[in-house]
Amino acid sequence: MNTARITIAQVATRHSLIWLAAANAVGLWLAASLLWPELGDLVAPLTYGRWMPLHLNWQLYGWCALPLVAALLHWYLDAADPRVVTQARFALGGWSLALLLGGVAWLAGDTSGKLFLDWHGWTRGVLPAAMVGLWAVLAAHTWRRRGSMGRSERLVRGIPLVGLLAVPPLLYVSTGRDYYPAVNPDSGGATGAALLGSTLGIVTLFGLLPFMLGRRRTKPAGWFWVALVASWGMFAGMRHGSVSHHVPGQIIGLGLLLAWVPLLPLYWRRFDWSADSGRWLWAAWAWWLLLVVTGWLTFLPGISERLKFTNGLVAHAHLAMAGLVTAVNALVLHTLGGGLSRRPAFWLWQLGCAVQVGLLLALGWVENATAGALFRSEAWTQAIYGGRLAAGLAMAAASALWLKEAWR
Amino acid sequence: MNEAGPTRGDNLGLAALAVAATYGYFLLFAEFSFLSQVRELLGEGRGLRGVMAGLGAGGVGGSLLAWGRFRPERFVRELSWSYLACAAMAVISLAASGLIGLTLTAAGIGLALGWNTVTLASGLRALVRPERLGWGIGLGTGAAYAFCNVPVIFTAGPAGQAGISAGLVLAAAVGLWRMEPGWFRGPTVSRVSVWRWVGVFLALVWLDSAAFYIIQQTSGLREATWAGESRLWGNAMVHLGAALLAGWCWDRGWSRGLVGVAWVALAGACFALGANRSGGGTGFLYAGGVSIYSTALVAFAARDGRPWVAAAVFAVAGWVGSALGIGLAQDLHRVPVEFVLASGAGLVLALQPWRRSGLVALALLAWVRPVRAEEGDPLVARGRAVYIAEGCMHCHSQYVRPGVKSDVERWGPAHPLTELLRGAPPLPGNRRQGPDLTNVGNRRSAEWNRLHLQAPRTVSPGSRMPSYRHLFTSADGRGEALVAYLASLGEGTAGEHWETALTWRPPNQAGAVTAVQAAKLFAQNCAQCHGPQGRGDGPLAARFLVPPPDWTSEAWRRVPDGDEAGLARVIKFGSPGTAMAGHEAWADDEIVGLARHVKMLHK
Repeated sequence: MNTARITIAQVATRHSLIWLAAANAVGLWLAASLLWPELGDLVAPLTYGRWMPLHLNWQLYGWCALPLVAALLHWYLDAADPRVVTQARFALGGWSLALLLGGVAWLAGDTSGKLFLDWHGWTRGVLPAAMVGLWAVLAAHTWRRRGSMGRSERLVRGIPLVGLLAVPPLLYVSTGRDYYPAVNPDSGGATGAALLGSTLGIVTLFGLLPFMLGRRRTKPAGWFWVALVASWGMFAGMRHGSVSHHVPGQIIGLGLLLAWVPLLPLYWRRFDWSADSGRWLWAAWAWWLLLVVTGWLTFLPGISERLKFTNGLVAHAHLAMAGLVTAVNALVLHTLGGGLSRRPAFWLWQLGCAVQVGLLLALGWVENATAGALFRSEAWTQAIYGGRLAAGLAMAAASALWLKEAWR
Repeated sequence: MNEAGPTRGDNLGLAALAVAATYGYFLLFAEFSFLSQVRELLGEGRGLRGVMAGLGAGGVGGSLLAWGRFRPERFVRELSWSYLACAAMAVISLAASGLIGLTLTAAGIGLALGWNTVTLASGLRALVRPERLGWGIGLGTGAAYAFCNVPVIFTAGPAGQAGISAGLVLAAAVGLWRMEPGWFRGPTVSRVSVWRWVGVFLALVWLDSAAFYIIQQTSGLREATWAGESRLWGNAMVHLGAALLAGWCWDRGWSRGLVGVAWVALAGACFALGANRSGGGTGFLYAGGVSIYSTALVAFAARDGRPWVAAAVFAVAGWVGSALGIGLAQDLHRVPVEFVLASGAGLVLALQPWRRSGLVALALLAWVRPVRAEEGDPLVARGRAVYIAEGCMHCHSQYVRPGVKSDVERWGPAHPLTELLRGAPPLPGNRRQGPDLTNVGNRRSAEWNRLHLQAPRTVSPGSRMPSYRHLFTSADGRGEALVAYLASLGEGTAGEHWETALTWRPPNQAGAVTAVQAAKLFAQNCAQCHGPQGRGDGPLAARFLVPPPDWTSEAWRRVPDGDEAGLARVIKFGSPGTAMAGHEAWADDEIVGLARHVKMLHK
């Protein structure tokens, strides 16, 4: 691989892992604050609620997003351009600066009050601005390379680039306090259509990733795109707006995702991944299977009522982000030459994540009936929260090991 | 664009007319009359924001379109067509209605205006020599602002203003139609400098747009700035004078000082308005600052003359800056001091990186109060803002699921979804580390909430909530605002809630925890108010207006044997009108066991 590409991958990996480590550190602080609320008294006014947006948004826009930015840079940038590394640093630096400014604002209490969309006031435009900066770099390189691309390659690169241009204004608009997605009236949470749409978005992204990473296809895989278009068609045909999870159409529609449990791994196996990527691939499929199956089950009437507003849904969020997305992102960075190859760190993370998800799911399952015990911090609830903290420590240690590896 | 064409002397008047037409159209039509029309049709809500987003997106698109289409030989024709497009959109706007129609119209207006501004700025050197550009632009800018402040124009209705704006741009199109441009050589700016200047103008537009929105949304500030004929004539004169002076300074190379003065004027106006000094010279200070930077913005793009520079200035600084400024003001209802200072610091660092001392001067302004917009029901609204800022939603939901019996029983009646979605933003939350707060105003007294917020584990042993004592010790009243907000939650559902409470009975199969467990529960969770023996002498008792009763007194010994259910009800749901809070989330066997323990204390 070209030296500039390796350098960019390493820079992107460092940015990604710094935010993973930072978000994990905040997560540990939050877990400790729940165990020992007196800690929160010591740091007032920087109490639990002020720290939460940092944990959530740094995980989402930092660790979950930056490896995908790395993949975009790999796919679009012209490695022959002498300024390519500087421009990649500029794009990644702008993104990290936006996250840092966001963190400062959230700690100061400047938040929209919308989960994962906390950008507000003077920070409302900073991440969209960073995205525009990234887009400008991608567009400039695509323009520069246009002469060396065939018609089909121009389309394959151009269409996503045009699509990406819509992301900054969409993010800006969606962070507004006046805009709110459809709500399931019987749960107060997301509708089946919204859950299907967001997951299909992830599937689409996973479909593009092998191309973005430059993996060679070893077998035909046209069926994947046919299935994806059909899935999006089904999504389009679903009832949107504020629809209950008791409506059969929502249950069936979301159940469509079960078909993707085997399809996605089958599709990815048609590309030539490097031999040492295997463990990340397997981890990704294991978490994918758990995520889709439990995601659908927790949407079902009866189970939804039992788990909504409990730690069970926190478990599900960890399953998605610490489990699946982390495995895929680690695969991305590893494939690009960014490291994340240490076996102990891998197992430390997987074990920590599994323990955390298991404990929170178990607590969530009984939480509605024993809410009083949870509010009073009974010993058994403290033990579970203590276990969660220990699992978080293992994950934080793993992220520190990856960071150390990336800095060599 | 350094190639020289045939030189014919410059057309200063025509350049000024073109600039005046563009600015006049923007100020009078796009910024005022069209948006007034939209407000009339859609009100102040999401619809208006959608239309404004369409206007901004169109503006950015039009700027990029102009950049792509600009050719020196086609300049006059392009500019004329862009004026005609602006006029057409003004006419079309009169017939537009409905959210989609108005949004599409707004996008069309933005597109035409973006196309027009970038084309004009890229080609002004075809009309005026670079050394006189500032003067011509200042004249046009000042004339446009002055014209818009002429009372009869300012007070014309939306339709009249749209017609006048269309007339303005048509006049410019006619004036330009047969004009033969002669290109004048001029300096270009390095790429780094271009982006520095774009950053400077972005900060100024952002600041101006935020302040403008606040002034427009606040009746006192609006009247102080634009009310009365003499005020409007004064504004017109200040605009014209400031713009002419700015143009003159620009031509002498005093560009950095000029934007510095503009920032000082805008910041000073913001601070003065925030300190409620909205009369006298404050409005004039604002008007002067706006005219100065408006002149500089066009002059910078025109002096360079490259279309990409003009597109960067108008798309990024102009349209994006406006959107960011309006968004900031809509979100915060104020222009934060920190933001004003940061914008000034940005200016100093961008234009005078070696003058760190400028930052010290800026820091001296930090004591001034920010501009604030009016808010309805201020204490509760402020309390809601505190609730959001402190991240209460990360532990407390505000959503009672209508089909879930335990939710309704514990937290009170469900509310219609439409009520939730009326909030900006809705606050359903997704976790319950503590109780749901949908109807907490019916379930907890204000004094209980006040005490609990300050010392949560003293009031509710084992609570995972940190102390919010700092909200009550600061002088800004955030703690009381939060208490007021919590008290407002559940308004209108108290009757329904207590009806549920009064008909509740412990289920027959509930059983009870053992006497030892019940005594332990009492000691841990009740003794801090009721005292270890139920004498109402707990350490917190004196903190309440209505202290807990002494159950060992004569009156309380008469609790009938059969009233275990009544006691259980009070333990589970609390006692209205007193500080006795319910224990809604406790298990039924704990409630029954505790009721028996309390009965045992009535001796």
